[in-house]
Amino acid sequence: MIVYLLKRLILAIPTLLIASFLIFSLVHIAPGDPIRVMLGQYQDPELIARLREAMGLDLPFHVQYLRWLGKVLQGDLGLSITVKRGASVAGLIAQRFSVTVELATFSLIIALLIAIPTGVISALRQNRLSDHISRIIALAGVSIPNFFLGILLILFVGVYLRQPWGAGGYVPFSRGLGRNLAHMFLPAVALGTAYAAIIMRMMRSAMLDAMSQDFVRTARAMGIAPGDIVRRDIVKNALIPVVTVIGNSIGYLLGGSIVTETVFRLPGVGNLVIMGVFRRDFPVIQAVVLIIVVVRIIINLVVDLTYGFLDPRIRYGGER
Amino acid sequence: MAWEIQSGEYELGAHRTLLQEFWRNFRRNKLSLIGGFIVLFYAFLAIFAPLLAPYDPIEQYDAPRGMRNPMPPLSRDVDGRLFLLGTDKFGRDILSRAIYGTRTLLQVAVGSISIAMLLGVTMGAIAGYRAGTWVDELLMRAVDIMLSFPSLVLAIALVGAFGIGKIQIGPFTLSNIVKIMLVIAITYSPRFARVMRAVVLQEMGKDYVAAAKISGASSARILLAEIFPNTIPPIIVQASLMMATTVLTTSSLSFLGLGLQPPRPSLGLMLNEARDYLFWGAWWYVMVPGGLITLAILGFNLLGDGLRDALDPRQARRRG
Repeated sequence: MIVYLLKRLILAIPTLLIASFLIFSLVHIAPGDPIRVMLGQYQDPELIARLREAMGLDLPFHVQYLRWLGKVLQGDLGLSITVKRGASVAGLIAQRFSVTVELATFSLIIALLIAIPTGVISALRQNRLSDHISRIIALAGVSIPNFFLGILLILFVGVYLRQPWGAGGYVPFSRGLGRNLAHMFLPAVALGTAYAAIIMRMMRSAMLDAMSQDFVRTARAMGIAPGDIVRRDIVKNALIPVVTVIGNSIGYLLGGSIVTETVFRLPGVGNLVIMGVFRRDFPVIQAVVLIIVVVRIIINLVVDLTYGFLDPRIRYGGER
Repeated sequence: MAWEIQSGEYELGAHRTLLQEFWRNFRRNKLSLIGGFIVLFYAFLAIFAPLLAPYDPIEQYDAPRGMRNPMPPLSRDVDGRLFLLGTDKFGRDILSRAIYGTRTLLQVAVGSISIAMLLGVTMGAIAGYRAGTWVDELLMRAVDIMLSFPSLVLAIALVGAFGIGKIQIGPFTLSNIVKIMLVIAITYSPRFARVMRAVVLQEMGKDYVAAAKISGASSARILLAEIFPNTIPPIIVQASLMMATTVLTTSSLSFLGLGLQPPRPSLGLMLNEARDYLFWGAWWYVMVPGGLITLAILGFNLLGDGLRDALDPRQARRRG
């Protein structure tokens, strides 16, 4: 297990390195001089020269990359240029990171709470009314864009029902956990719905798959109680492909949170990257994108490792 | 899209029975037929937009005395013009903007999927044909790295690099709409590359390829004339499934303000503007563009699922 973990960690390193190289190069595929582009109308030659030196843009490309990477590894993500002039990007992200993490976690919890039971029931009652209804809702769930769903939720809860927690905006933890969670609820629903729909569909088809396996027939023939078969044999086997989907779709949750933060005016990391794009603040864009990619790779690693707990047949470090 | 495959393959003649079987399978699934009709409806809207739109989508009309823009459905302006679906904040006709917005959305989606397909299919074909060599290794590594970015995040990062609006690369000016198509095409080409590589690998093992090799056909000939025709169905299925995702990504970018720019009518941008009028209760401002985006995604999802199931009926039965 530990050998496998180390192996996976080592394998993730080249991916991260090349991804970081790509992210760093983004600035340089931009047409024109990045500094002039970033400064917009403030074309002060002295400032340009100072920034150029501060960012090391006069050095050869590979030296620039290595310097940047070295700083990043020490937690120095550079300085913001236009979003908040001179502020440390790491600091800006640190202020906002908890908002995005809370949103993504809350969405994940809501999605799992809806998707797993619905998927199980839908499969057990295949082609009955409850199955049809949940499948139609799932289809609507994957089709409705999270920003439209978010706006609809604000319209109904915030405008028509006049609920203060339904109007968007962020309440920090310091002003009460209850109010914080209440304001996070609609954003989490908006973001989690499509995710729930994807997981539910996978859960259903994985259940149906598992139900048609020989071991289920054998268990039935042995006279094991149907409830026990569902719990011990079917659901457990069905969870393996579902965990894969949960992991593979985590990117949706990370990308979607950028949109959801905009809809509900949440001061998260996604909101920061959008400001960065609008104001062409390259250090901010690079840092946020890098963090999202790192988080995604780590989550995928964790998901891979959970297979071992779900399915003892998968032996790490052995055949794989 | 189903019709395209049909006419294309009828010319080949030999596959007729296979196609008839495909059509039978496709028709049997009512949901995929509904998806097909929805897609046809959108194609109709997009093609005949100038004939269908009652007004110029960027013309601003004045509200009559005692009323303010945005005006609700069935309102009239000072000169008595009727606005079936109301007006937006500048007094522009929402129906006309929605029709033209749909047209732009489909233009971008079809354009970017076509470019993504071209890029991805080329990459995947070369990797598959040269499987196991350093070329394959290099291409697939690149694909892996690109897929480690959540797609919306990659698209946002690329917009961040290129800048918002039209861009200047040396002597060439790239219009904003073409730039967005390129951004989305780059984001989604790796998925086509994966599918294409897998299909080419599978076909390479078949007798007809061996026969072509023995008879001395060149690599290019084997790839283009022998293998390529057999890769069309899975690539088309992938394309129609990807259409739903592309519509979502395009409208998300526009919603964030990073995609299509005003005054060009865009459904995503309309939703963004409508947010400021939610507390006026301007539901029509939200429902029209949001509903159109959702229905488009639903249609492409249904059609894509139907095509996939019709081409692979054994899998479909399991999916239920």
